[in-house]
Amino acid sequence: MKKASMHKTNVIWFLLPAIFGMLFVHFIPILWGIYISFLDLDLYTIASPWTAPFVGFGNYVQIFTSGMDVGTKFIRSLWNVIFFGIITVPAGYIIGLAVALLLNQKFVGRNLVRGLVLLPYITPDSVCYNVWRFIFQARIGLVNKILMDLNLIKEPLIWLVGERGIYAVMVASIWKGWPFASLILLAGLQSIPHELYEAARIDGANKWQQFINITFPMLLPISGTLLLLSSIWNFHAFNQFYVMLSSDPGAGADVPSTLILREAFSNLHYGLGSAMSTVLMAIIMIMTVISIKARREEVH
Amino acid sequence: MTFKTRQTINQILVYLGVFVVLVAVLGPYMWMVSGSFKDNLEVQASDVTKKGLEPSWIPRKIIFDNYRDVNKTVRILDYFKNSIIISVGTMFTSIVISILAGYGLSRFRFKGKNLFTVAVLSTQMFPGIAFLIPYFILFSFFNRNLGIPLKDTYLGMIITYTSFALPFCILMLRNFLDSVPFEIDEQAQIDGCTKTGALFRVIIPLSTPGIAAVGIYSFIMAWNEILFASVLTGRETKPVSMGLLEYITAQASRWAQMMAACIVVSIPVLILFTAMQKQIVEGLVSGATKG
Repeated sequence: MKKASMHKTNVIWFLLPAIFGMLFVHFIPILWGIYISFLDLDLYTIASPWTAPFVGFGNYVQIFTSGMDVGTKFIRSLWNVIFFGIITVPAGYIIGLAVALLLNQKFVGRNLVRGLVLLPYITPDSVCYNVWRFIFQARIGLVNKILMDLNLIKEPLIWLVGERGIYAVMVASIWKGWPFASLILLAGLQSIPHELYEAARIDGANKWQQFINITFPMLLPISGTLLLLSSIWNFHAFNQFYVMLSSDPGAGADVPSTLILREAFSNLHYGLGSAMSTVLMAIIMIMTVISIKARREEVH
Repeated sequence: MTFKTRQTINQILVYLGVFVVLVAVLGPYMWMVSGSFKDNLEVQASDVTKKGLEPSWIPRKIIFDNYRDVNKTVRILDYFKNSIIISVGTMFTSIVISILAGYGLSRFRFKGKNLFTVAVLSTQMFPGIAFLIPYFILFSFFNRNLGIPLKDTYLGMIITYTSFALPFCILMLRNFLDSVPFEIDEQAQIDGCTKTGALFRVIIPLSTPGIAAVGIYSFIMAWNEILFASVLTGRETKPVSMGLLEYITAQASRWAQMMAACIVVSIPVLILFTAMQKQIVEGLVSGATKG
């Protein structure tokens, strides 16, 4: 009894810095941001934010009215980021799984290769995406050079301006993203007991049957976590768009993060920007809750 | 087909696959390295449509000027210094706070422990952009009313980045500390250490690998960040991640110099990662699986 109470008095000192940090740097700003989303906060009212006019759901109405400039852009940006995720999340997972299976085989130099494939993951975003921006240049770029050498195109394609922008960013994102999936899945593969495969071989199962009946089911839980995390991070997507296409990627490749950045810090509509961030946050939260519920039901 | 031939074919396929993967991973790096040794004129004059002028893998003339002139048009060395200060600051604050919190979570049973863990986890779900506007307004507010400048200061950036690194650091260290046997604490306490004394004299020395991994994770996170840097830093504190963009302006594209700068900028991260690869990989894996 005495021991327990001693613990209670002590632990607070250990957690206090973290609690203090998270309260002031996470939770208060988030609540404050949600509050701002109900204000008409712009260049003129920013000097004293608490006297800015309260507009209720006015900002939310604006960002979902497709006739208005910001509404049209926001709806399009949501669609863009979903389309982006529908391609990059599964592609990253499938490539990651394929390479994890490959790196789980025995071959000479395996440890070196396992380290090398992590390079894209550890190289700073700014470096990776600047290099890809260089690679996707129309006249001097590697991609067009290869496509021309293979006779797939007659004229160099413009990648980084207009409708093709989002595809260029997808390629770069997949290239940067799959090593993480691979790393996690490889760890998952290594934790599968060898006895399962031995038993399957004795029963006469071939490689494909082993994959379908042992490997894949055993990887299912970690795959779920991985896909959930990458779907959430997908909505955070910013760096690749900002570096490769600038803060204004054009209608075809605008994502919520770049749109909010411009709306708040170029057009100085902080209220509208906050409303859009709040919607983005709500989408991510709903996704998380649904997938956690779905997984719980799977277990039962 | 005999067992032997099938195995040989299998082996060939594996090596073929490894080759394809390595080409896909290393290709862009080769292009970056080759670009960094080209004359910028060569890069700018190259043209995929003109025979003889196509951009090439091997520079027509290998020059080192890009590395020598890396600081000439863009103050990249200043930005490098800014990045070092911000990243090292973030590293130390994250380490201190996450040791304390990780130790608290690992060694104590208390009311609200689950709530605390969920709160830590949930902060990872929020998109960075959702914090940016409130931060900007709070930073302006502090500056105007309390006279504490945070925008475009090292302190402001360190606070910002520490808070984003913390959730992952805390959970990673908790997992690491969980693997340090509890008997060791008890032994230390029997030998006359207080709970806090045990932490500093016994637990921390035993957890150096975990602490190093946490430190490097937060260093790399701060080194790579772009979104907050694009709004909250300015002349005084601009980090390399933003500085790289300055090589390309409306007037001039200095791709060759930018590639050289890219290599210089990657070096600290690559060194740190290589030194601590095992710990970071273990940390990442357990972070994703146990998180």
